[in-house]
Amino acid sequence: MSDEIKPDELLDKIDYSTGGGSWMDTPVQIRPGMYCYASNPKSVETLGLPNARAWNPLDDDWQLPDNWQEIIHQGLKERLDRFRTFKVFMDICVRCGACADKCHFFLGTGDPKNMPVLRAELLRSVYRNDFTTAAKILSKIPGGKKLSGSRPMTLEVLKEWWYYFFQCTECRRCSVFCPYGIDTAEITIMAREIFNLLGLNIDWIATPVSNCYQTGNHLGIQPHAFKDMLDFFVEDIEEITGVNCAPQYQKKGADILFITPSGDVFADPGTYTCQGYLILFKYLKEKYGLDVTWSTYASEGGNFGFFTSHETMKRLNAKMYAEAKRLGVKWILGGECGHMWRVIHQYMDTMNGPADFLEVPKNPITGTVFENAKSTKMVHITEFTADLIKHGKLELDKSRNANRVMTFHDSCNPSRGMGLLDEPRYVIQNCCDNFFDMPENTIREQTFCCGSGAGLNAGENIELRMAGALPRATALKYVHEKFGVNTLGTICAIDRAALTTLCEYWVPDVEVAGVHELVGNALILPGEKEREEDLRFEPLPDSEEE
Amino acid sequence: MDLKQIVKKNKKKIVDQWFKATIETYPANTAKILGKDSNKFDNPVGSTTRETIEDVVDLLCREFTAESLETTIDPIVRIRAVQAFTAAEAVSFVFALKRIGEELFDADRIREFDRLVDSIALAAFNRYSKCKEEIYLLKATESKRRIHRAFERAGLVAELNEEDLLGSKKS
Ligand code: SF4
Ligand code: SF4
Repeated sequence: MSDEIKPDELLDKIDYSTGGGSWMDTPVQIRPGMYCYASNPKSVETLGLPNARAWNPLDDDWQLPDNWQEIIHQGLKERLDRFRTFKVFMDICVRCGACADKCHFFLGTGDPKNMPVLRAELLRSVYRNDFTTAAKILSKIPGGKKLSGSRPMTLEVLKEWWYYFFQCTECRRCSVFCPYGIDTAEITIMAREIFNLLGLNIDWIATPVSNCYQTGNHLGIQPHAFKDMLDFFVEDIEEITGVNCAPQYQKKGADILFITPSGDVFADPGTYTCQGYLILFKYLKEKYGLDVTWSTYASEGGNFGFFTSHETMKRLNAKMYAEAKRLGVKWILGGECGHMWRVIHQYMDTMNGPADFLEVPKNPITGTVFENAKSTKMVHITEFTADLIKHGKLELDKSRNANRVMTFHDSCNPSRGMGLLDEPRYVIQNCCDNFFDMPENTIREQTFCCGSGAGLNAGENIELRMAGALPRATALKYVHEKFGVNTLGTICAIDRAALTTLCEYWVPDVEVAGVHELVGNALILPGEKEREEDLRFEPLPDSEEE
Repeated sequence: MDLKQIVKKNKKKIVDQWFKATIETYPANTAKILGKDSNKFDNPVGSTTRETIEDVVDLLCREFTAESLETTIDPIVRIRAVQAFTAAEAVSFVFALKRIGEELFDADRIREFDRLVDSIALAAFNRYSKCKEEIYLLKATESKRRIHRAFERAGLVAELNEEDLLGSKKS
């Protein structure tokens, strides 16, 4: 396996083929199709981030502040002091190469600078130069710099950082294989924080963050439009089921506050998942009197602040707790999202918590206490639904999903970020008879990223996204050909959008569906009429045969 | 022996050499990883490249049409169309066959073989442009489809007809 690549080959002699030469001597070429556009200066201004200006990554002059090198040096220094993991990751890599072929971007693009070890080395080389004694001593002897693997910060280096740290989706797959647990995602997070100090943001992140900060969600949709969309879903559901599933908004004293990524409300095919939530909550209200409220204020579960800086993430996240407090709910239920859960699971509690004013989440219908959410007070909807199914609390008609042959894509954040592996599969298998997992080295903790996470789901970098999607697509194509899989289930809003495009390019006969879309189709609502269509207004499998 | 029989007899040799030449179009360290005989899903570019090359060589031993050739070579070209290759570099791997052919065929046969290689190259180029077209179309329409369509269904916007926009994909 990858241990055949010796450390010296990996780094010092990384060979750029035809021309030859080491990676350090190979200057970066910023290629259209691979990078995201620079951020709109207005968004940068709204957020109060530095150096707001119009700039183009293809220009020679990036219009940096005069003391940009000093800003980077200081930025690195502060973060090395503040984040112990970052400091440790800078020092302990032994260049064993175990991570080299584990990144979907390396596997898809074939670019050695996308090997996680080399991605980290882009930054580590400057760290060595600026912060280690060994490099300082070695720099005095001829060839010493090369020996220590260090280099000074130059504009070329900065451009290389920018290009490659925006070719990392912070998915953490590499860390699963590193014997030391080095998490290249955290190195990318630090690099992106530093870019923000210089105004080197990308628009696909900065503008959603600015919208979210001002309006409450990434798309900048105002409360009345948010409500209009849900009203429209309610009409559709009523047409299909004959039951009015209208939600409640901002209801003080409700049992549970429900927060989902705005993608579920505003983007296909997440909209069908959203209808699934509405159907579920109606069912629980009718059968068990459960009181769930939505909020047009906390109208975004996602948090692109996470891809900007710790401070920005904190600002955006705070509104969830603030709204829960204002409404006086018992705990928060969260929808099908990816990075939202990484933020909740790994940061929220220490960042904006402890949320003492909330109760330890307990499912009032089954009595289950969600110990894992004891301190965040926020439960993932597939855990909640799986618990209801396990206790026989939901009446499900699987035949209504009989046209679907399912597989499941573990989104990086819920799987590697919080260990949510079995619940979504359990829910799918209780809503549909046909389920086939993809090969084991491509799922669960080893799942391959969709290639569009961490703010990289833009249009202009589509070649990067499609290349990064190749490992996932190869596994999907396999189950499609072998078992006739026609639907890729997922519990992430970015995935519902990104995987749809992935399928169109790589495996065109496969559709993407959220897990609660299946729930919405299968759940038998009290008083419903005989359904003839599913939530997409496609004929149900039974009625098709007639 | 006719050309097809010679190809059939030398299939393994042709596949191995063509595969090697193809992965050598990548940076040396990448080529080393792609060339490893690892699990298909741990090495998608390497495994797809090898499988596709095998399928194409298999096809050469049988009767085939321009269309079947194009479909068969698709997986490899589809990958190269999104990697850092120019159009010429993306399909250049086909011409490695000419070098391989020089060792296998005598002067009489080599022209026939070269013509075969030319037809593979044309198929690859056709496929390459189709893949690029798909990419541009996805780029132009995906966000509109994702967000705009949802809004349109809800009657919140109305000025754009998605079906028109997507019409060209189906042709
Ligand atoms: S990051 Fe870990 S796996 Fe990768 S080369 Fe360094 S020590 Fe090895
Ligand atoms: S975190 Fe994911 S995208 Fe980033 S280097 Fe590791 S495997 Fe690649």
